[in-house]
Amino acid sequence: MSKIEVLSKLEDIVGKDFASNNREELFIYSQDPGVSHPRQVDYVVMPETVQEVQQIVRIANEKKIPIVPMGGGLTLSGLVIPVKGGIVLDTKRMDKIIEINETSRYALIEAGVTSGQLISHLREKYPDLQPPYPDAPPSVTLAGNALIHGSGYLSQKYGDHASMINGLEVVLPNGEVCKVGSCALSKYWFTRGPIPDLIGLFTSAFGTMGIVTKISIKLFPKPKLRNIVIGLIKNLDTIPGLVLNLTATDIPEDLMVALAEKPDFMKGYAILLLYITGDSQDELDSKTKILKKMYRKNKATFMKLPPRYYDIFLEQPQFAAKAADFRKGGGFEYVGSFLPLEKIPAAIEKARDISLKYGIVPTQVSRIIGRGHNVMFAASYSFNRADLDDMERARKALHETNEMVLELGGIPWKSELAGQKLIIEKMDPNYKILLRTIRKVLDPNGIMNPGNWEV
Amino acid sequence: MSNEAEQDWKDIIHRCFRCGYCKFTYDYNDFNCPSYKKYRFETYSTGGRLWLIYGIINGDLQWSENLANVLYACPTCGNCMENCRFDKFNFLLVDMIEAARAEAVKKGFCPEKQKALLARTKNPDMYNPYGEPNSDNEDLKKEYNLPDKAEWVYYIGCTSNYRQKNLRDATIRFLKKANIDFTLIDEHCCCSPIMRTGQISPVQDFMNYNIAQIINAGASKVITSCAGCYRTLKKDWLKFGAEYDFEVYHTIELVNKLLDEEKIKIKSEYNKTITYHDPCHLGRHMGVYDIPRDVIKRIPGVNFVEMERNRENAWCCGAGGGVKIGYPEWAVEISGERLEEAKETGATILSSVCPFCRTNLSDANDKYNMGFEVLDLIEILDQLEIEAME
Ligand SMILES: Cc1cc2nc3c(=O)[nH]c(=O)nc-3n(C[C@H](O)[C@H](O)[C@H](O)COP(=O)(O)OP(=O)(O)OC[C@H]3O[C@@H](n4cnc5c(N)ncnc54)[C@H](O)[C@@H]3O)c2cc1C
Ligand code: SF4
Ligand code: SF4
Repeated sequence: MSKIEVLSKLEDIVGKDFASNNREELFIYSQDPGVSHPRQVDYVVMPETVQEVQQIVRIANEKKIPIVPMGGGLTLSGLVIPVKGGIVLDTKRMDKIIEINETSRYALIEAGVTSGQLISHLREKYPDLQPPYPDAPPSVTLAGNALIHGSGYLSQKYGDHASMINGLEVVLPNGEVCKVGSCALSKYWFTRGPIPDLIGLFTSAFGTMGIVTKISIKLFPKPKLRNIVIGLIKNLDTIPGLVLNLTATDIPEDLMVALAEKPDFMKGYAILLLYITGDSQDELDSKTKILKKMYRKNKATFMKLPPRYYDIFLEQPQFAAKAADFRKGGGFEYVGSFLPLEKIPAAIEKARDISLKYGIVPTQVSRIIGRGHNVMFAASYSFNRADLDDMERARKALHETNEMVLELGGIPWKSELAGQKLIIEKMDPNYKILLRTIRKVLDPNGIMNPGNWEV
Repeated sequence: MSNEAEQDWKDIIHRCFRCGYCKFTYDYNDFNCPSYKKYRFETYSTGGRLWLIYGIINGDLQWSENLANVLYACPTCGNCMENCRFDKFNFLLVDMIEAARAEAVKKGFCPEKQKALLARTKNPDMYNPYGEPNSDNEDLKKEYNLPDKAEWVYYIGCTSNYRQKNLRDATIRFLKKANIDFTLIDEHCCCSPIMRTGQISPVQDFMNYNIAQIINAGASKVITSCAGCYRTLKKDWLKFGAEYDFEVYHTIELVNKLLDEEKIKIKSEYNKTITYHDPCHLGRHMGVYDIPRDVIKRIPGVNFVEMERNRENAWCCGAGGGVKIGYPEWAVEISGERLEEAKETGATILSSVCPFCRTNLSDANDKYNMGFEVLDLIEILDQLEIEAME
């Protein structure tokens, strides 16, 4: 079948306006804002319904055309750029908030709902509820975030965002629709089990197992007040102990350790960014008092910030994208990784060395997940998109960081192809066989984002 | 765009991260980039456009009809400038799109419909984008008994002079009632439509001509009743190197000033519920938000209500940037969304202070049978008894 015929089939499904192989669409969708090289895209399609997704997948299957689901496309590691050409399926027209269940506290949304959309919807209509969401720009999808084991608000208390998925509706690689989680048999999308938990098949799968069309994510109570209690840490080795002590209490809602050169007060220190919430100022004050004591005991220094910094740190989501302009250049990418808490001091030091080696200002954050059971450690490398050497430096820094993380016993997160390769090299052979077998069964024609997780 | 600014944008455009803040209102409540909301491909977001332009600059992409089409499918509403978080360059976003359109024109990729704007504007019998025979405004001067020289020039603008004459006449009547010493000039188009569409070749001449006319009229102040003219005279002409020392006012600024100085008084009541649509050229591009609202609130009897998206977050009417001529149906669709929003306020009057917004909002009002009275604020004032206090 010629490209024109494929396009015309796609147009029949979604309408002429939402299927394209114009050079301009192909150009834009062949790259993401990270440091990956552009790769070929043949078609871009924007379905609105699950039936349309099914039909697209059936055509892709019939014609053996690769298909890559994309939400906000802001993972930065090239995950939505096809490796073997084919169709990029942009989910953002599937943008309905289907249900907010206030009692069982979940949101059932379509896959293309952006974080901005749900945050604003809840702020306006359900001010006592909050969703888990990342510090990414508001144009990312919550499905994309949860599906990649994202983390962010509420992760310290309740775990990473993949663990907050109650259920999924997925178009499988053969075009059939499947529901996983309690929704497989109940009209309530309120929990994952107690049936064999297949949700995990689709998380961090990068679209290789199917296309998620609906997702139910947990919502959480939203206390009226929120504040940040900053601590300065001089000795990195004290971090695990401090975090253990802090997370043994119920106080931190979110907890991060950051390393940055700017603002000036952050230079030379690791900064503890601890978020507290409460329903009264008294509650916040008493929590702050306890924290100050704990900081002192653990050799960290409490620091009061000038008011303008409170605004910056308390904004939700934070304007983390500012790192893209650190080198006046429209780009940054980070190695995010999951690391055991005890390895954080070493990771901070090593990533700082890598930054300095490549002449990039060290910028890092360690986000404590689920009371320290896991830490999302991110080392970010800004680059100037107009300077190819600068981009190459960032690529090298990212690669060395991936290697460093694996050496420390951690796992690179939402990894680009090169990082996936490093992970696969270290993987238990039987894990690889299991993964390969499952994929072969689900996707015999290998159409779902091929090139990723090539075990 | 001046040479200096041109240098700037080519060095800056790669700094767009394609993060997409620019698609939204400030609270992410809705997509507020009309182009992205319609087309939905990333290509049609601000970031998409900037990346395409950068692709052209660094040779990864070639000009094509479709690429030009993407660049022109944008009413230059400025929502992106308001919501892009990168304050080192967000103020340049629309300038960059317009500069790229100028490149498209140079390379021969200006879409046909938009080309007509230039042809008509340049035509010495017209000097306006509507293709109407040029009015030297002498008849109007006679009709309203206006002097040849005066303190103020009312620069009517093409839309008011050729399409929204009621707005023009209401403005003249107001100025008379308020005892303003003003006159009219033989205008050439201010060049807003051709600037927005990148067809900038006649701008310098037209601008110089208009400035000379204003100076010849002995005026130290110019008044415009069009948000587009206002922005163009006050901001864009300067970018093109204009040097003038007259002051530029929008009618509504003058009304407000006269009310402040107690030089006029509104004597009658207007017992209606009004909402106000911020024209992009006056709001986001010039930062004028309070003045029209202040005037509305000073009209006795008015019940003023805001639409959900207002001021910096206003939803564009869809007419600007060459969209009305290039994509007439879509332009009206965009206004249709504004009317839906206005409906929720319970207002019966949808007001604005721009003849171009008025035209497009009225077109949508008719097309979708929305039942509003779409009026310029000056037309509302025209219905009221206004007393000059001197
Ligand atoms: C400035 C900045 C800050 C960030 N901060 C954070 C942060 O604090 N926490 C965090 O977790 N992340 C963060 N990120 C990373 C990332 O942007 C977010 O995790 C984001 O939510 C990913 O969503 P997306 O819609 O952009 O996903 P995409 O990039 O579109 O997709 C991610 C992956 O999921 C797959 N996918 C997407 N949709 C579907 C679907 N419907 N079905 C199947 N597969 C699908 C894609 O193929 C891809 O492999 C940040 C990114 C930036 C640029
Ligand atoms: S214009 Fe600004 S907000 Fe929009 S994508 Fe570019 S950098 Fe982001
Ligand atoms: S000017 Fe308006 S329509 Fe054009 S890109 Fe910016 S926000 Fe979108």
